[in-house]
Amino acid sequence: METIKAVFDYTLREHVRHKVWLSSALFGLVLVTGGLVTSALAQGERARMMLDLGLAANEAIGLVSVVFLTVHLILQEIETRAVFLILTHPVRRSDYLLGRFLGTLAAVGLGMAAMGLFHWGLLKIAGWSDEGSYALAWFCSFGKVAVMGALSLLLSLALTSEAAAMSFASFLWILGHFTSEMRFLAERSASVFARAALTTVSHVVPDFAHFNYRDAWHAGPPGARWIAAAAIYALAYCAACLALSVQFFEQKEF
Amino acid sequence: MRTTRALAAAAFAAALSLGADLPMSRAARVFPSLSELPQTPLSFQDVSLVSTGFRAAAADLAWVQLLQYAAEGLPELADPPGHGYVHLKDLTLRVTRLDPSFHRAYLFGAGILGWFRGVDAPDQAVEILEEGRRLDPGQKMYDLYIAALAYKKAGDYQRMIRLLDSIYDDPQTSPQLRAILANIHKSRGEYELALRIWEDMLDHERDASEHARARLQIPELKRLIRERRPRRQ
Repeated sequence: METIKAVFDYTLREHVRHKVWLSSALFGLVLVTGGLVTSALAQGERARMMLDLGLAANEAIGLVSVVFLTVHLILQEIETRAVFLILTHPVRRSDYLLGRFLGTLAAVGLGMAAMGLFHWGLLKIAGWSDEGSYALAWFCSFGKVAVMGALSLLLSLALTSEAAAMSFASFLWILGHFTSEMRFLAERSASVFARAALTTVSHVVPDFAHFNYRDAWHAGPPGARWIAAAAIYALAYCAACLALSVQFFEQKEF
Repeated sequence: MRTTRALAAAAFAAALSLGADLPMSRAARVFPSLSELPQTPLSFQDVSLVSTGFRAAAADLAWVQLLQYAAEGLPELADPPGHGYVHLKDLTLRVTRLDPSFHRAYLFGAGILGWFRGVDAPDQAVEILEEGRRLDPGQKMYDLYIAALAYKKAGDYQRMIRLLDSIYDDPQTSPQLRAILANIHKSRGEYELALRIWEDMLDHERDASEHARARLQIPELKRLIRERRPRRQ
């Protein structure tokens, strides 16, 4: 546990000092503020548009940051041979991987929290009343980002190519928002094979279509059953990806 | 040994995520399929945003484009000469199928199709409102609009106006409906009533989107009232 914490602290510090992290957080703030200007076009729906665009910008920046950072996370250390130095110490590979991942996620989470607070403040200034739950929408976005981070880490270790890992991660992000469409098509498909294939794929890829409280905000708050299932889903999906990442990392010969 | 443990943990976590996915997807909000979105030249924008997970933002942009179309027309969707608002129903359904809880879009589209001079498409307005009742239940305004349109189709303008008057101060009533009510009074020669509505709208921030029209209508109605007075004397 102490090893994980030590790697976590070092990773978090490394990311926070990094200029890429700072510039993406600043870009996010610009996007959130941009929502303030664009929403003026929406007549009576200004607060709604500010809310939607701000949450979308926050998630988009979180996604880009987490994919970029996790894909580089281990591969770069292998390339620069820094990983050899670390693993000569009494550090288990699984602890190292977990610490690195959690540190990265915490850095991205901090950036998203800063953008979220700024956005929430702008909404309050614009006279927005909290009908849904902003915190829940933020946590759902963070859950999606965490799942994508774990998936990107797994892809980077399985494919050993940064470009391929980023491309696959982007593809899975898009596919993840099509799970409801895939199930809709499976229900209407006459072919048993197509139905089975679509259903299987829709359960294997991350189910972002049903995880996306941000998009369902205006229909009212979700039930406790959905919140519990969504929390378990995000944690279990991350755990599955991390366990497989450990498997790939253990097999690498240093 | 470690390898086996990692694989066992991955299998357990994958089973858990699959187990959680089923109740999560059953309890989640169901949106209309992308195949149900009306085909417009802007469909690529909708599909791109929905597929990258920005459905609510796609609905907001579609709403802004609907307002643009209603105001001065979108270059992508030009109306044929002599025919106004030909694409209004599709553009309204585009917004509401991207986000079925976009109450204002149903009412905005139905208001124009049902009551705007030269448009007169109450059947299309009712179709939009019926879809609103189905996909966005619990909104009383859809029923009230449908009732008012039914009176209009039956030629019972007195009862239609009485119904619209009764919801004038309701917080859910859109500024557009208040403007429609003022225009109905104006078209029936009830200039004082129309003037009172426009002045009231100008006094309220809730009707800010109609203030520009109110500023144009108020002097015109005052002129019409002045012109009518000598005839009465």
